[in-house]
Amino acid sequence: MKPYIAVLYDSFLESIRSRVLWMLLAAWTLLLAALFPLTISSTESYRISRRTFSSENSAKAIMDSLADASAGKGSKAARAVYGKLSEEFQTMLQQRKESDRKIAIGSLLEELNRLLTVEDLYDAEAWPTAERRKEIKELVEKETLADSERERLNRRLIDLAFPNRLSSSDGQATLITWANIPLGQPLPLSIDGLRPIIERTIFPLVMRVGLGIAAMLIAIIITSPMIPDMFQTGSLHLLLSKPISRSLLFLTKFTGGCIFVAVNIVYLLIGLYLFAGIRLEIWNTGILWCIPLFIFMFMVYYSVSSLVGLIWKNPIICVVVTAVFWAVCFGVGTIHFFFDVAINIQPQATRIYAMNDAVVMGNAQGRLLIWDAKDLTWRTAYGEVDGQQLLGPVWLPEQKNLYFARTNATPFGLGRSFDTKLEFARLPDIADSNDKTFRSKPWADGRIDSGPELPSNPTQIIPWKESLAVVTRDGLFAFDPSKAAGDEKQFPGLSSMFQAFGVNTEKGVSAFQPLLKGAEFGKSFDLSVSPTFTTICSISNGEVTVWKDAGKELELQGSFPLEQDKSLVCLIACNDQIAIVCPNGEIPVVVDVVKRETIGKLDQLGRTSIKQMRVNSEGRFALLDQDGAVWIVSSDGKSTEKPRLTGQDSALAIAFSRDDQLWVSHHVTQADRWDLKESRSTASVRPTLTVLEMVFRYLIDPFYLLNPKPAAVNQTIEYMLVKPNNKAIALSADDLNRPKEQSDPWQPIYSNTAFILVILGVSCWYLYRQDL
Amino acid sequence: MAAAISVEQLSKTYSEGILFRKHHKALQNVSLDVRNGEVFGLLGPNGAGKTTLIKILLGILHPSKGKATVLDMEAGSKAARRKIGYLPENLIFPRHHTGRSALYFYGRLSELNDSQIAKREREVFDMVDLTGREHEPVRRYSKGMRQRLGLAQALLHDPELLIMDEPTDGLDPMGRSQIRDLLARLKERGKTVFLNSHILQEVELICDRVAIMALGQLRGQGPIDELIRQNPLAQQGAVILEVQCPEGIAMTTEALGNDAASIVLLSETERVYRVELSLPDQLSLDRLIDRLRNQQISILAVERFRPSLEQVFMSFVGSVPPHLR
Repeated sequence: MKPYIAVLYDSFLESIRSRVLWMLLAAWTLLLAALFPLTISSTESYRISRRTFSSENSAKAIMDSLADASAGKGSKAARAVYGKLSEEFQTMLQQRKESDRKIAIGSLLEELNRLLTVEDLYDAEAWPTAERRKEIKELVEKETLADSERERLNRRLIDLAFPNRLSSSDGQATLITWANIPLGQPLPLSIDGLRPIIERTIFPLVMRVGLGIAAMLIAIIITSPMIPDMFQTGSLHLLLSKPISRSLLFLTKFTGGCIFVAVNIVYLLIGLYLFAGIRLEIWNTGILWCIPLFIFMFMVYYSVSSLVGLIWKNPIICVVVTAVFWAVCFGVGTIHFFFDVAINIQPQATRIYAMNDAVVMGNAQGRLLIWDAKDLTWRTAYGEVDGQQLLGPVWLPEQKNLYFARTNATPFGLGRSFDTKLEFARLPDIADSNDKTFRSKPWADGRIDSGPELPSNPTQIIPWKESLAVVTRDGLFAFDPSKAAGDEKQFPGLSSMFQAFGVNTEKGVSAFQPLLKGAEFGKSFDLSVSPTFTTICSISNGEVTVWKDAGKELELQGSFPLEQDKSLVCLIACNDQIAIVCPNGEIPVVVDVVKRETIGKLDQLGRTSIKQMRVNSEGRFALLDQDGAVWIVSSDGKSTEKPRLTGQDSALAIAFSRDDQLWVSHHVTQADRWDLKESRSTASVRPTLTVLEMVFRYLIDPFYLLNPKPAAVNQTIEYMLVKPNNKAIALSADDLNRPKEQSDPWQPIYSNTAFILVILGVSCWYLYRQDL
Repeated sequence: MAAAISVEQLSKTYSEGILFRKHHKALQNVSLDVRNGEVFGLLGPNGAGKTTLIKILLGILHPSKGKATVLDMEAGSKAARRKIGYLPENLIFPRHHTGRSALYFYGRLSELNDSQIAKREREVFDMVDLTGREHEPVRRYSKGMRQRLGLAQALLHDPELLIMDEPTDGLDPMGRSQIRDLLARLKERGKTVFLNSHILQEVELICDRVAIMALGQLRGQGPIDELIRQNPLAQQGAVILEVQCPEGIAMTTEALGNDAASIVLLSETERVYRVELSLPDQLSLDRLIDRLRNQQISILAVERFRPSLEQVFMSFVGSVPPHLR
């Protein structure tokens, strides 16, 4: 091996003595030096932004209230707010009242934010209920208030003046600064909430674009002359006259090029790792794992560059052909990506629901689908609206209606929410339990009926006794179909059309009765109702709260904290005996809802991110984790098993049928119903493939599998950046249920390794055969 | 004496193009032997196939036909290359090296360890007269210095066979003389040297035997004296005569008699004539001398014609100066 080590050492010596290495290292140092002053810090901010409005009409409604206040109408609080507005804005509001003068939302925001700093906004008469709130009372009673406290008090007062119009703020915000210079307004996220987003979005972006494209291009350009240089007549013949193998000489030169790039990648990524750790307090070891992955990615490109260098012996041709190779791979990858999204991601089941013998599936596209057993296909029952997702569905046999709603599905709750109405489809066919097949045609949007507006910020629609209930941050609201009957309208689209023309079509929420008085959950919370509807458990800010049905109303039993990070997003499911709390990325915890204490952990599951939990009528739990594994936990929480199911480890959604069988949706659109006692499938859903799916599965996918895909290493890199803590990036329980690409993150490593071996093999064969 | 290099019926055909392949015969049935311990010169004009032959001996090219062995091992095998020191033509050293680091690099490639190189480096730098300059970057070396460094790396592992392609190329007369001395010393130590050079005078001075190639074929091989003796020019019985005529008598062909097959006047200065004659035998020469003396013509010099290596070379490769034909 000595001669080859000498060649390797010589390559290293060459890079050290050439200025290129030092110039590159200097460039990385400058880059890191420019990054290091960048940092994030926690701050308190109660400022109101466009995102703060709870719905699209909120700004208009607030201006209406203020305009009414200008005429001495409306609530006292609104009038008090009006009194503190600038004269100019007051005049604008008066003109709006009189002549429909339009006011820009920006002006409203500016005024409301100015009010946050006003010293004497609080007026006990205007806000008579304010002192009932502990937080406001404490602030009001203080003699002097700090600026942040003043902002908080005034924000709470404004929230009260315009109920349900502004999303409540816990004041947690994050300020991004560079050398202590703030870069824009504070982000309305806690620093702990922002960090996972940085890990999930910024890091992969930096890796994908900065290192995956820019740094790779630099590396290819710089290393491209290495192999052609070896073929200079005067030096090559001397090398080949030595007792060394041509192939090994080539492979050693190839390795030398890789080492050169590795030195740079190691330096840069260790620098980025330290930057992320020291300045952002994100010690993500995934960044360090990216070092071998990027070297590997470079090897894919460099193998092509080296083969081209052997054939044409020209560095420029090496760079050009490698760039063309990249473009071809990118093209194939992009085509595959679009097919993959259309065939594997968007149609992926996110919810499954059994109504008698009919199966309904909600997919990632926001569609509601119903299984047509006759034609072996999922019929689109309800089409998607871009970026929306379904709440529910819940089947009410008495009404013969399937209820659901759609909300915005913006990741991490960063988008604006719109008014959400309860919608339902009348399904008399399915109501007939003797009917074993679904015969009616899927219903179109036109056949969807629109019910009353849901309470603001709904997160779930769940069955509640003979009806349904809506879960929101303000608690649980039971739906009364009889009261809703008067509000029902056909063609929900008309409602928004009327609103666009300024016609007020808003209805009250009288059809929804609050069940949990005084409940107010944090930004991230979850709530579960036991199968008997007698116990309700919630988890919010790391605190479990239990309510019990005490005849006419639900009685608060008490709250107790869990020993865990309060900021973790959690799911909860309960029966009347226990509740299982699943903190994101942690071991699920079992709590006794009667004694209100932690009684154990589901250690068998390990640290995991549970995305769905269901409870059957016997109180058994079914848990589905982000990796597609289904777990069954006994009603007392003492035994856990991972049953043998078709689609185990690929499951997408779970649901119990009324007879306690478990429906498991898996492999995009397939599903099985399992009798857990007998461990057998009692029904299966296997849709026939469409032409497009067949083209993808039998043509595009195999071709893609064989095709080199250096850029796909980014998937592995992203996986490494997120995976180390085995934690899904979620700011709300809803984020946990987002569809995830099911592909094996290591697959690009296998296929690219095969590609590198083939190209290097061809290069060695070419070199062996070639007369030099 | 065993053969250091043995080449039998060696042929090499280059093919070019993908669809319409063109074939070029670079070597055609070449057979030659280089004996152990001799300095062997390979001569030939550009395109004769010399470099192709060397590349085959080093394993850089694969022969199309025939067989070549080096030190009784298959030419190009690792074992054979271990025992060869090679100095290529137009050697280029990587620019990042100093003389010393280049020597170490090529020494390591020759499977020497650093201590072995350290033991030898002083000797070889002295041999090629680079002592004191070994720490300079090679990019600052003159062509002659690079050539000497090339020679140093070829000698470093004390090879049994030294293959040198134009070893004196770029060297000044002093340097050439040093190389000649060095080769003589190597020969004394029993090393075999296979030399490819355009400078025929040097080859004549250094080499024991030569081979002459043209158009991929071997035109002749053997000891230089033998090649010259066997050359048709030497066989023709040419004699060069230098005579001085008395005043008033001019040199004419009649004065030289009828025995000479050809007469060429080479020079004429103040009654001194230099003439080349082709005479069939010694008796004709004796008669000619008697005849000239009878005419009072003084004979200043009589010498038998011995063709130079260049003339022999030219006659082999088919480009003989017209006055010699």
